[in-house]
Amino acid sequence: MVHSDAMAADQSADQSVDTDFERPPEDSYRLLVDSVVDYAIFMLDATGRVVSWNPGAERIKGYSAEEVLGRHFSVFYPADDLAARKPWHELEVAAEVGRFEDEGWRLRKDGTRFWANVIITALFEKSGSLRGFAKVTRDMTERRRAEEALKSSEERFRLLVQGVLDYAIFMLDPAGRVVSWNAGAERIKGYSAEDMLGEHFSVFYPPEDLVARKPWRELEVAVDVGRFEDEGWRLRKDGSRFWANVVITALFDESGRLRGFAKVTRDMTDRRRVELTLSEQRRLVGHLVEAQELERRRIAWDVHDDSIQSMVAVGMRLQLLANRLPDEDAATVRRLDEAVRASIGRLRNLVFRLRPPELDRHSLVQALDHYLTDVTGPLGITYRLRHSLDHEPPVESAITIFRICQEALTNVRKHAQASELEVSLSSVDGGTLVEITDDGVGVGTPSGGRAFEHFGMIEMRERAETAGGWWSLEGGARGGTAVRFWVPTPNGGGP
Amino acid sequence: MTTPKLSVVISDDDPMVRDALRDVLDAEPDLEVVAVARDADEAIELAERHAPAVVVLDIRMPGGGGGRAAREIRLRSPNTGILALSAFSDREAFGEIQAAGVTEHIVKGASNSDIIAAVRRLGRPGSG
Ligand SMILES: Nc1ncnc2c1ncn2[C@@H]1O[C@H](COP(=O)(O)OP(=O)(O)O)[C@@H](O)[C@H]1O
Ligand SMILES: [Mg+2]
Repeated sequence: MVHSDAMAADQSADQSVDTDFERPPEDSYRLLVDSVVDYAIFMLDATGRVVSWNPGAERIKGYSAEEVLGRHFSVFYPADDLAARKPWHELEVAAEVGRFEDEGWRLRKDGTRFWANVIITALFEKSGSLRGFAKVTRDMTERRRAEEALKSSEERFRLLVQGVLDYAIFMLDPAGRVVSWNAGAERIKGYSAEDMLGEHFSVFYPPEDLVARKPWRELEVAVDVGRFEDEGWRLRKDGSRFWANVVITALFDESGRLRGFAKVTRDMTDRRRVELTLSEQRRLVGHLVEAQELERRRIAWDVHDDSIQSMVAVGMRLQLLANRLPDEDAATVRRLDEAVRASIGRLRNLVFRLRPPELDRHSLVQALDHYLTDVTGPLGITYRLRHSLDHEPPVESAITIFRICQEALTNVRKHAQASELEVSLSSVDGGTLVEITDDGVGVGTPSGGRAFEHFGMIEMRERAETAGGWWSLEGGARGGTAVRFWVPTPNGGGP
Repeated sequence: MTTPKLSVVISDDDPMVRDALRDVLDAEPDLEVVAVARDADEAIELAERHAPAVVVLDIRMPGGGGGRAAREIRLRSPNTGILALSAFSDREAFGEIQAAGVTEHIVKGASNSDIIAAVRRLGRPGSG
């Protein structure tokens, strides 16, 4: 009976079928084999000559049955295989162990090659003597091409990883030993592949991390949650430190077994430097605001304790003097006293403006409310203070906001002739937006373009811009003047 | 019959103001400056010693500030009237003074006659 391994499965299936089953006709196997086009299924005699041929064989190898029957199957082999006597060797193995399997290049009739998967099964008589061989050949060229493509894309990928310079990309075995190493790893860490292969990755960690067993904990986390990310100091081969962003990914196979870890490390030292410079800058702005406030306080006390006191004393003496002088001289001295008193009034306003805002004891809104009461009361201006703040701005922002408001309110007092004033504060875009609107005469056309060059405007704009915000002055919607400015809230406070 | 002069204690840390204030008050026939203090402690001590009709108290003095001085003086010389004198209308400071029971408050730079009138009001309650 002719059969091949390909049909062995069918046979064993037969055994479980009940005995009443009608046996297929004698030629049913032939019919089956003859209908298969995807496999070349044919028989060789004991010496290797082709004795049967199916349509699959014709399709794959290009020979018709007439052309090939009786010919030795070595015609399917390329010259180098013939030189190595491969066909004969294969039959020997099959005869010896019953079966031979191989993948390799075979020739079609037209001389072109195809990649074949070949199974040769030895067929024996009941007596045990070799009758011949069943040969099943499959054309694997397409699959091989796909595999080649995959392999070469893997290869390209490997080359890519190898060549990347900006990232250290390497693999660890489950115990944390380095099993691959790329150019970026060499560049960033200073170790060559030779240095590192087989070494434990804990050598990259500074002593304080080793004491805390950080490398091992990182792997544990990666195993637990699949991934671990960190930023911190790592060591180069020469012992110098770099600021690293590290991502460790646990690699599991299909059965869920841990195969190792992929580790991607980036040198962030430069970026960190830039960030530090930014927060440094923010710190400096904070210092600047603080220094300005200190300076103002000093000037305020100086003016208050010295200038105003002296002038008060002078005023009192002038009045005393006037009382003792004849009327005509007294009038002159009284005018002098008036002038001194007017100066005292202006100095008092100056001190009032220079005084530190009450931000140590009150919220920004409360401090502004007090200030508005003080400023508008004597002028008969009614004010409205509205606010929708998410949070109290940090003190340096609050001082900046307060000082700009103060300057704007001074202008309202000095220039606007307003009767109503509206101040609103709101949290916008991670900062504070402030609008101060009056219903006064408005800025009009700046006379000779100079109106915008007075110190008040310059100071307001500079304060806002130093804090990283903006400032503007426009005509109000209903006449009058609108000062708007925005000051960002420094995030996280910084160091 | 001559009414007795109103005794006044002056307290101010600025020497020029101190002297000018003394001259202004002494120039009035019915007022007499009996002592001059330079700080809060001195003001308390002199007020206790002289039990003056009026103390003119600078509310921004070194040494505990006007609030403490006012409280101590009211305690040690209950009949003494206290006139607070400040360099400007300082809401916070004046709040403290009011809490200490001071009712008369004058901003420096007010005219001499305003100061004199305030001293008289305090020294002779009901008479003016
Ligand atoms: N709210 C306002 N209403 C009317 N005019 C204003 C207002 N704010 C500013 N101005 C005009 O703009 C000019 C410039 O203001 P500023 O730079 O503060 O200088 P200064 O107040 O010393 O004049 C003022 O002189 C005034 O003419
Ligand atoms: Mg101005």
